[in-house]
Amino acid sequence: MRRALLAITGLAAGTTALVVLKGSPGASQVATGERSPVVPAGSDPAALPGVAPTPDPSDPALSARATPGGRQSPTGRAGADAPRPAAPAPTTSAPRSTLRTVSGPQVTYEYGTLSVQITLSGTRIVNATGIGMPQSGQSGRRSDDVQATYSGTSGEVVRKQSADLDTVSDATATSEAYQRSLRAAIDRAR
Amino acid sequence: MAPARPGLRRVEQIMGTAISLDLADDLPAATLHELAGQTFDWLREVDARFSTWRDDSEVCRLDRGELPPAEASADLRAVLARCADLWRATDGFFDAYATGRLDPSGYVKGWSAQVASDRLVAAGAGNHCLNAGGDVVVRGLSPTGRPWRIGVAHPWDPTATCLVLAGTDLAVATSGVQHRGHHVRDPRRGVPARGLRSVTVVGADLGLADAYATAAMAMGESGVGWLDRLDDHLHAVVTDDARLLHSTTLPLAS
Repeated sequence: MRRALLAITGLAAGTTALVVLKGSPGASQVATGERSPVVPAGSDPAALPGVAPTPDPSDPALSARATPGGRQSPTGRAGADAPRPAAPAPTTSAPRSTLRTVSGPQVTYEYGTLSVQITLSGTRIVNATGIGMPQSGQSGRRSDDVQATYSGTSGEVVRKQSADLDTVSDATATSEAYQRSLRAAIDRAR
Repeated sequence: MAPARPGLRRVEQIMGTAISLDLADDLPAATLHELAGQTFDWLREVDARFSTWRDDSEVCRLDRGELPPAEASADLRAVLARCADLWRATDGFFDAYATGRLDPSGYVKGWSAQVASDRLVAAGAGNHCLNAGGDVVVRGLSPTGRPWRIGVAHPWDPTATCLVLAGTDLAVATSGVQHRGHHVRDPRRGVPARGLRSVTVVGADLGLADAYATAAMAMGESGVGWLDRLDDHLHAVVTDDARLLHSTTLPLAS
């Protein structure tokens, strides 16, 4: 779900205006992609145009991709760009400066150890990835339980497709461990 | 391509979370941008003044004793008074001192979003949706001219929702476990709360709804009965063993 991923990305304190969308086509200077307010279930955030980088915490390739000298930019210079450019063809965009990544320290918390890695383009944080966040093993199993137990009309815990929603209410409280590691990463980047 | 629609939609990162504003009124673009700018300016101001992460915030200076309570701003004094009310109303389960120091964040986010929404209504933008890190205020109608449709996230599947609400003037706050473990603590016992996976409270004020949802999470199973006795608020609860309970009058979308 993009909203949750945005929330994770957005922990990078001080980043602003990741997405500006205006209703009338062509009027937005930041993002040109039309989109529905909510990502349909199961869709790949990477496929969405006009959205800020949406890291998958479980994707180790992401950090590699964003590293200077990675396959996107052998020289680590001029051609380097965000891992997922915000808009397909903004002809006026200036060349961006080199990307670099900075890792925060490993912070121990209730469910293990995590570290936050941020990617910067110049001084702008374009990505933040949590490494070591809980994976969905148990979550997946519990979803099945929910489906099996409450797929009838008496129970409402059934997956409803999100395509026709204006917004989603969820518990995107930020983890203290995540914030601690992120903050240290930002301090190191200065 | 989606058809043209009135209004403006903007997302910014404030208070350590994503805040999205959907203005649905058919107002001039300049007016919409100005209203959105004022909204986010206010939320950034609140973050600067109330953040527990900024050493120079009013909250931190008050907590360290550098700012005498009598000299605190009217906003901060009002927030602290509300937190005290909530502490009593929730039997101590909503506790701005749960972490051992002053941290009114559990009320501030919802309160500031509600203030922003009220200001938008007063400024003539009576149709909007403001989502502050998963806590939502909707007013009036959506850009499609129908009531706003608000999904409640499925507690075990971030790509799905378990309920869909519809309404024209609702504050919807969800507290829960999600993917990072039990993050709501029982302030009375000092341990992570167990029993409930997700609590959604629906009311007319987002600050209250958010605080009530947090308190009910901390109560565990007994939170369900407590929610049932709340006046003027409706709820949906998912338990750790995957039962869903909700008010019979919850405004479910058809």
